[in-house]
Amino acid sequence: MATVASTQQSSWIGRIRAAGLGPAIATTLVVLLLLWLSVNLAKTPSDFASVALEGLTLGLVYGLIALGYSLVYGILELINFAHGDVFMLGSWVSFSFAANRLGLGANTSGIAVIGGLLLTLLVAMAFCGILNVTIERLAYRPLRNAPRLAPLITAIGMSFILQNVGLYLLGPAPVSVPNILPTGAVFTIGGNEYRWSSLIVAMTTIPILFLLIWLVQRTRQGKAMRATAQDQEAAAMMGINVNRTISFTFLIAGALAGVAGLLYALYSTNIRYDQGFQLGLIAFTAAVLGGIGNLPGAVLGAILIGLIQQFNEGLSWHAPSSQWTQSIVFAILILILVFRPEGLLGERTPEGG
Amino acid sequence: MAEQLPEYRQPWYHRWGGMLGEPRRRWRGMDDKHRDQANWALKALLVIVVAIISWPLALLVVALFAANYVDQYVPEKHAWARRALIPTLIAIVAITYPFYNGSLHDMRLFGAYPDVNTAVIMGVYVIMAVGLNIVVGYAGLLDLGYVAFYAMGAYTCAWFASVQFAHRNVHFGATGVGSSTPGFHINIWLLLLIAGLITALIGILIGLPTLRLRGDYLAIVTLGFGEILPQVANNGDNLGGFNLTNGPNGITPIDAPGLFGTSFQTGSGTFFTGPRLYFWLVLALVAITVFCSLRLRDSRLGRAWIAIREDETAAAAMGVPLMRTKTWAYATGAFFGGVAGAYFASFKSSTFPNDFSFNISAFILSMVILGGMGNVWGVMFGAAFLAYLNQEGLANIGHSLNQTFGTNFEVPLYQYGIYGAIIVLVMLIRPEGLIPSARRQAEFQEGVHDTPLYDARHE
Amino acid sequence: MTRKPLLTALLGLTAVLALVAAGCGGGGSSSSSGNATALPASSCSDIYYQGSGKPDYIIASDLPLQGSGRAQTVQMTEAIKFILKQHNFKAGKYNIGYQSCDDATAQEGAWASEKCSANAQAYAQNKSVIGVIGTFNSGCAEIIIPVLNRAPDGPVGMISPANTYVGLTHSGPGTAAGEPQKYYPTGKRNYIRIVAADDFQGAADALNTQQLGLKKIYILNDKQAYGLGVATDYKNALTKLNIPVAGFSAWNSKASSYTGLATQIKQSGADAVFIGGLICENGGKLIKDLASVLGKKVTLMAPDGFTPISAVVSGAGSVSEGMYISVAGEPNEKLGPTGQKFVKDFGATQSGGNVDPYSSYAAQSAVVLLSAIEKSDGTRADVAAKLLDTKVTDGILGNFQINSNGDTNSNPVTVYQIKNGKQTTYKTITPPTDLVKSS
Repeated sequence: MATVASTQQSSWIGRIRAAGLGPAIATTLVVLLLLWLSVNLAKTPSDFASVALEGLTLGLVYGLIALGYSLVYGILELINFAHGDVFMLGSWVSFSFAANRLGLGANTSGIAVIGGLLLTLLVAMAFCGILNVTIERLAYRPLRNAPRLAPLITAIGMSFILQNVGLYLLGPAPVSVPNILPTGAVFTIGGNEYRWSSLIVAMTTIPILFLLIWLVQRTRQGKAMRATAQDQEAAAMMGINVNRTISFTFLIAGALAGVAGLLYALYSTNIRYDQGFQLGLIAFTAAVLGGIGNLPGAVLGAILIGLIQQFNEGLSWHAPSSQWTQSIVFAILILILVFRPEGLLGERTPEGG
Repeated sequence: MAEQLPEYRQPWYHRWGGMLGEPRRRWRGMDDKHRDQANWALKALLVIVVAIISWPLALLVVALFAANYVDQYVPEKHAWARRALIPTLIAIVAITYPFYNGSLHDMRLFGAYPDVNTAVIMGVYVIMAVGLNIVVGYAGLLDLGYVAFYAMGAYTCAWFASVQFAHRNVHFGATGVGSSTPGFHINIWLLLLIAGLITALIGILIGLPTLRLRGDYLAIVTLGFGEILPQVANNGDNLGGFNLTNGPNGITPIDAPGLFGTSFQTGSGTFFTGPRLYFWLVLALVAITVFCSLRLRDSRLGRAWIAIREDETAAAAMGVPLMRTKTWAYATGAFFGGVAGAYFASFKSSTFPNDFSFNISAFILSMVILGGMGNVWGVMFGAAFLAYLNQEGLANIGHSLNQTFGTNFEVPLYQYGIYGAIIVLVMLIRPEGLIPSARRQAEFQEGVHDTPLYDARHE
Repeated sequence: MTRKPLLTALLGLTAVLALVAAGCGGGGSSSSSGNATALPASSCSDIYYQGSGKPDYIIASDLPLQGSGRAQTVQMTEAIKFILKQHNFKAGKYNIGYQSCDDATAQEGAWASEKCSANAQAYAQNKSVIGVIGTFNSGCAEIIIPVLNRAPDGPVGMISPANTYVGLTHSGPGTAAGEPQKYYPTGKRNYIRIVAADDFQGAADALNTQQLGLKKIYILNDKQAYGLGVATDYKNALTKLNIPVAGFSAWNSKASSYTGLATQIKQSGADAVFIGGLICENGGKLIKDLASVLGKKVTLMAPDGFTPISAVVSGAGSVSEGMYISVAGEPNEKLGPTGQKFVKDFGATQSGGNVDPYSSYAAQSAVVLLSAIEKSDGTRADVAAKLLDTKVTDGILGNFQINSNGDTNSNPVTVYQIKNGKQTTYKTITPPTDLVKSS
């Protein structure tokens, strides 16, 4: 259908593309952006570096959530709106388990913190994974034959339900999480500290990404996932249990949301019931930016978004400042979807038009 | 795609997982006679439940059922009577509402009947929902940023009927505004139309680059617009030094509409009070919107929308111009959103950036889904009911429940959870909505799926 | 065959319609009591009246009774009831009933513009409403004042215990074009407030800044009506005191990190940050990130959006130590003898005995309104006029007078400091008028 559509339409977008202006415009934008960044770098090098590191850290947290969107979208072509809220509940379960159940806090000794956090990580991953699988069973699977938008609408409904569960559990005000991670600096650049908490986020996310790529590319289960994503019917004929594969995908995506929930709670030390919606949208943007369905792309997109956010708020030379951050992120989303729906790393598919 | 039924017979968790879909499957398995009986039983149950809440409301429901029943016995040559019966009934009940709502006794659980002012707000939401229904229900394009159109309408009205641009002094047919008052003051009736047209134009501008995207991508893009626009409104107090929107302080007050020199804000005498005038005007707007919506549905354009919704490829193959048809759907939906926004701004005498969050888009979408995508009557009911819940109902219900059970649970706080549950349950149990359109029902039940959801790369 | 069911059904329909009509036709006796007509039950409570006979007039309060601030506003309505009871539901020769109206919707969990407008219409149309106590939020007052001002038989008076937005009563830097005249289309004033406007708080904070010897201030706002207003007023007062402003920008309440913003502040060389906004706009996280990047040497200051101070401590933890928070008005313990007596007597009727400072303001508003009704000739316009003439001696809030703009002349601002995780009163500042007024 999309091919029919694209041959028919002769909008200005089509003309821009036909004239090969797309790359030219994109290049101009990127050059301007780089110019702006380099002026800022020249003016305040140490702040630039520290802002970039913060952006990287934030981007990695976004990346963990974006991976979940990308995985589910890759296999079902469903934008799982509820994913952000699963992540929020992951933060809640981490907080209540680590701080309230285990009693971890700023004064807990090193070994206990490591052990406690590993335990919390397992709990959060299990909780979110099972939650995600349950949601798929109850809300998405019965609609597998329904018109395309039906599960998307259901996902929005699920997102609201989970958000309100979070509202009940956390209350309307942000909840402060004790500083469990060491707050000291790893190193200092020009008076700006790079903190242990940031390093831990990075050291957790990067191995997970490689593990995930290995899982999808190298294992038998990963092969089943890729086959299901390509053609469910054919996959079923080849003896792949499609339902189990989809459930497995939701389990992995949920577990990733659990990791993200824990890391976010530790890194941000502040959790609230609507964080899932906000971060979910940002992470989804990141997944689209990188090429949805493409795992390294999701992380790359997330890092770019994190950097853009932090540069926008942290740099002082002609930055639009934080009141425009949200608009910038969504403008990127719209531009990418309109001009390059396959994202930075994705392949061009007919659906993208 | 493989038939799903056997799967539910297998392990227990599959059965539980599919449980929510079960009643629908069973319903479809009935023969006509049993279904008819079940239908009557359900109707009787509904009437009884409504009668427990409030008997005048139950009478209305019975009257509607009766009218619906009578319908099928009206001879073909009096088809106009068939079409007019239910609308006339609803119109009579609605127009006279301000005269009797004060004397109705409180409903059980729901508390007092909605105030006339609340009814105005319900009407505004009905217009918005019917407008969104054109985009979502007719053309099958999911729009998650409908609030952007509402905002556009509201700000258009605010700019041209307030003292926002105080260095100008332009008056044109405004009622109840002193001629020395600075700012633009254009007649509200005219502004409703202007706001609708400007918003439709914005709809076209947003639609042109985005409507070529596939359904779920389009949904996300519209969501993006819906998030950007309020932020622009909030930061619009200093756009390069120009105060466009007065930022978070919003624009207040906004002129009221007038008729024969009577401003709706002050009203005239004890009969034509302000709220009543606002109410009757919103009824007129609702009537126009519904009329347009129904006529559009049956027009060539409307049939093209439905064709696209059902099977885009087939529609294109039959020569339906996809882009143009979709853009028209967008523009028409935007038009009604703009009119409703402008009227709402004038009624509220204010517009604030905080009025336009994603939640409102989702709220209006819930109305459309609850009522039944594609069916105007269902959408009207869904909109009126949810708007009422939001304005008064939930607070009253919470109050009743807390009094009965001695608890201290804040029901209104969890309203989005309630809307979310409504969305999920409706999609699972009755995806065609409470009052479905026959066509939409067939799609959901017999599966006119051009694009089976989980089978993306089918092209 | 086809005739019969048609006939039956039509008969049934007629009968139903007749019944509906009959059900609706019975006059409006249930909703009125005595001479006063009640406001619609949809957003207002029943009439609260325990005096003799029937009430002649109603006073209404307009507060947001849903959402997170509910406990506070509900206690305000209780305080108004307490005062009415104390006055035996009398204002001079008139019997006064009370209805508490809600300007919040479930959707917002806070005040909602459409509800404010609907309530305003109801007050203006109902001639039994002799005066209004409210609103809590300035945005809501912007909507209600003009409607009441143009009420059919002269302006309806309104007295606010909580509105602080400057432009409601007088113009100044940071107010919009046409303020405040646009709220008073008839040209007559009908609105007073007994709480200091934001320009006083901004001036008091600026004075505090000067007295602390701070050299360069970075100002943040949450880009909401209140936060932006108070930040702007603070900035103007700083300029008058010749204290340099290092920067003025917004924080995004939905962001997950403010380290970028904090880096920018660090770079500006500011030795203090003023956080104009609300604690619930992610203020706790903001304080944490500011403290972690800027270190202990930078002083943090905030206006009364950062109350209750216990919420700041629980939201930001130990890094909020030493922070200054200003609150317009005086704390309950600093009130005069009348105020102390009210706090004690009213507190006895409340569970836990805690009296929110806003309850004292609500009670004072009720007293002022009752005395205006007493002095009036019983018309709404005259009550509004008498409100503008208010002069209180030894009231709950002490002595004060209302000027022709509707502002109070008693503008103390209390500055608290967080010490050992507790709020401690630092000092009370009454800013001089010449620092506040622009011209």
